[in-house]
Amino acid sequence: MIKNYFKVAFRNLWKNKGYSAINIFGLAAGLATCLLITLFITDELSYDRHVKNADRIFRINSDIRFGGGDLHMTQTSDMMGPLLKKDYPQVEEYTRLYTNDGDKLIKKGNEFINESHVTNADSTFFSVFKLPAIGGDTKTALNEPNTVVVTESTAKKYFNDVNVVGKYIEVRNGETITPYKITAVIKDIRKESHFNFDFIFSMKNVDYQWGQLTSHNFITYLLLKPGTDYRAFEKNFTQYTNKYVLPYVQQFIRISSMDELKKSGNKLEYSLMPLTRIHLYSDYSFEITPPGSIQYVYIFSAVALFILLLACINFMNLSTARSAKRAKEVGIRKVLGTERRTLITQFLVESTITAGISLIIGLAICYLVLPLFNDIAAKSLSLKDLLGIQILPFLLLLPFVVGVLAGSYPALFLSRFRPIAVLKGTMSTGFKKSNLRNGLVIFQFATSILLIIGTIVVYNQLRYIQTKKLGFNKDQVLIIDRAYALNNNIAAFKNEVLAMQGVSSGTISSFLPVTNSSRSDNTFSKEAVMNTENGVDMQTWTVDYDYIRTMGMEIVKGRNFSKDYGADSNAILITETTSRLLGYDDPVGKRIYAPGNNPGDPSIVFPIIGVIKDFHFESLRQKLGPLCMRLGSQPGLASFKIDAANSANLIPQIEKRWKSLAPGMPFSYRFMSDSFDEMYRSEQRAGTIAVVFSVLAILIACLGLFGLATYMAEQRTKEIGVRKVLGASVSNIVFMLSGDFARLVLIGAVIAFPVAWFAMNKWLQDFAYRINIGWWIFIAAALITMLIALCTVVFQAVKAAVANPVKSLRTE
Amino acid sequence: MIKITDLEKVYRTDEVETVALNKLSIEVKEGEFVAVMGPSGCGKSTLLNILGLLDDPDSGSFIFNGIEVAKFNERKRADLRKRNIGFVFQSFNLIDELTVFENVELPLIYTGVKPGDRKKRVEEVLDKMQIMHRRNHYPQQLSGGQQQRVAVARAVVNKPKLILADEPTGNLDSSNGNEVMQMLTDLNEQGTTIVMVTHSEHDARYSHRIIRMLDGQTVLENIMV
Repeated sequence: MIKNYFKVAFRNLWKNKGYSAINIFGLAAGLATCLLITLFITDELSYDRHVKNADRIFRINSDIRFGGGDLHMTQTSDMMGPLLKKDYPQVEEYTRLYTNDGDKLIKKGNEFINESHVTNADSTFFSVFKLPAIGGDTKTALNEPNTVVVTESTAKKYFNDVNVVGKYIEVRNGETITPYKITAVIKDIRKESHFNFDFIFSMKNVDYQWGQLTSHNFITYLLLKPGTDYRAFEKNFTQYTNKYVLPYVQQFIRISSMDELKKSGNKLEYSLMPLTRIHLYSDYSFEITPPGSIQYVYIFSAVALFILLLACINFMNLSTARSAKRAKEVGIRKVLGTERRTLITQFLVESTITAGISLIIGLAICYLVLPLFNDIAAKSLSLKDLLGIQILPFLLLLPFVVGVLAGSYPALFLSRFRPIAVLKGTMSTGFKKSNLRNGLVIFQFATSILLIIGTIVVYNQLRYIQTKKLGFNKDQVLIIDRAYALNNNIAAFKNEVLAMQGVSSGTISSFLPVTNSSRSDNTFSKEAVMNTENGVDMQTWTVDYDYIRTMGMEIVKGRNFSKDYGADSNAILITETTSRLLGYDDPVGKRIYAPGNNPGDPSIVFPIIGVIKDFHFESLRQKLGPLCMRLGSQPGLASFKIDAANSANLIPQIEKRWKSLAPGMPFSYRFMSDSFDEMYRSEQRAGTIAVVFSVLAILIACLGLFGLATYMAEQRTKEIGVRKVLGASVSNIVFMLSGDFARLVLIGAVIAFPVAWFAMNKWLQDFAYRINIGWWIFIAAALITMLIALCTVVFQAVKAAVANPVKSLRTE
Repeated sequence: MIKITDLEKVYRTDEVETVALNKLSIEVKEGEFVAVMGPSGCGKSTLLNILGLLDDPDSGSFIFNGIEVAKFNERKRADLRKRNIGFVFQSFNLIDELTVFENVELPLIYTGVKPGDRKKRVEEVLDKMQIMHRRNHYPQQLSGGQQQRVAVARAVVNKPKLILADEPTGNLDSSNGNEVMQMLTDLNEQGTTIVMVTHSEHDARYSHRIIRMLDGQTVLENIMV
């Protein structure tokens, strides 16, 4: 019996090659998409879960607002960890990371390699994160200064060996070279981790003014004792600020309590974030690795489900479409005594086999597309991950679920045929006005329209960002990283580059309005004595004379720094936003003050010499904050305005100068526009993925539609014949058949519009600067869908309409 | 009204060539009621399809109302057809999704009659066929005889000069069959030309003249008296 099921199933598939191909390919594409997204989501959800005691590890986040400047970050003061451990028995251990030193130059052979996955950590790091070691004792590894723990592949990279405990690496900092002793080697940190260090240096080597309770420069993790409710523990942070931070702040500001600070609209709040939530839920600044987004996990899950549903709906519609042709087989089987149950089994076996073939092809597609997908999604997923225990049962079950799901409707529908009616050919073909089928088609269209609207909105927002007036010119600016490596040669380097053909200006400053550059904030006040009312916390950037010109910024009032004025060393430029926050209409000539370097010192006076037109120095997701500029030397980056046409010639020339002025130091450069784009990488990624999925969804929906149109035409052959005999023209018929589908598209659109509007508005909320969703986007999406649907349908409609009516009306 | 001369029609499939009409010549005068008889496969239906401008001949001449239409293209044929010819089929060929009224109205829509006029004319003809009370029913809700009356109503609503009937009583019992034949006779008496294909000698007796066919040719013509 079973053999017979399979035999008939395969013969049927083979007999209707076209249908089978559409059916199998449609389902395969759906399954492949679903698998890819499952891989992606599983990966996203698995972050940091492998860490031992992950449920007890928490990171402290800080929310600070002082005078208009909002800080929302992953870092705390150096004192917070030790003080919490001292005061609260719930804290089993704490550990801190210090990453503000940025990249390190490490010697390999005769050259220095720039390593960016580096940190300094407390000796307790391995007590909190129990990372598996393959050499040395991690418990004591970071107890002493000048010690370092490296990963397995780093050991291989530098020594071609993993047994490197006791060996030394050399780190260059300016002119000095410091040897570090390798005290332990750990296994490579898994990629599903929110940190990705290759080197973990001892905290004892951090040069820091310890004990600053209001400087937030350390990432602090707490390992809480088992059974501690972290939400309840967070309440202790108020006690902590009152006990420690308040007395410290009172040295600088006249303030009687933390409540006073709060009442004046400022805040200093801390919270705990569970380790396993960091990757998907963090929107805090200064994450070690770019975080994912739970929002995208939800969106993609929904999309995967939608696409799988679309594919299943197609499968049903196509199978039902074919049923008319198989009605006779059903009739004969029934006359021969086949039970309805057996027939249902027959059809379910068929659909399961089709689904099985689809799965194999889907896996093949998945395998072929994976590199591309990895590229778009910035992942390194492999098909092997599918074999991870979590998804395996799902994978094995999938063809059966899809088979039963997709096969059940035609199975039940076909097996219901009355044998006599079928064989005599007088069967009313029924199913023409099926609400279910119309519902399914409307659902397909609604989904397609939703995805198209989503894609258009994402793309428009991205284009808006790219073309928005930023207040600076990101184009044709070449950035040379680690300019500090030039040491005393930096001025010479700048001048020699400026002398080259095609270089119009240049500036040395670590601060740039794009990612991968420095940030620093200070609090200034309008009066000499700071209180909670008059203080404004603002970005304080150290720049040189040529900065404004090179960045293409504009001075709207007053003047730029100038060598003609001797006293510019304390002069300050502020932005329009800053001016507004300070409450000045014309700030030029006014003064602002900063507290002295040590408690008790007199305030430092800064005369305002000019106002810079506002420029976006953070992502457009954030509202513009206050910023000021001072003259000084922060030689982290050298930026040059160049003529892009010459860049191919210029870069080798600049590299040559670099090599001679900073021998042995790695040369690396980037274009400012690329760094700018990087700030929106996750949106761009989402945009690209959205396009891919929309195209896929529409493609799958069209496959189904094609089948349906064929079916409709087949079902209505007689009607079409009659209409033609009565004088209907080809265009009458085409119009009639297409009109039915057009109506379904319209209903789909009506359903999709509010959903799309709601969803896309929610997405846009993430941007402080965003587009309005124009009505034309909705119309365009509906029209595109309509057009694609009609193209698909018209082909079948025309075929049906031009057929000779004589054939369809012959009844003998 | 109809004059066909040396008409030929051959159906070809990959392997078989079937001659449906073999140099057939027939003339039908205005106001005549002609029955076409013959065994299955003799070419009756092919003849009817060509007369109805649904199919085109391979060669020969077909003069309809004084115009040579054998070489007309699809569009011209459709135009001529919808204004001049009504069809009655054995299996009624009503559209299941449309009501009686809508089925009868269809030819008027395709000839571009205004909605107001359409209503009047449909009601007129439904009245005449005595199925006015069924105007809002669907074909499945009617008996065979009633369905065929609707089909006849639909065939005549456009006041065609020619009605082509393909075994109009084939699916009906004798009393319903007689009723339909009487309707056709009445129409003929009011001036409509009728060509009817039938297997029934009884039905053929309603006509003025019987054309007997075999293997695509006329073999005999009986004049009825």
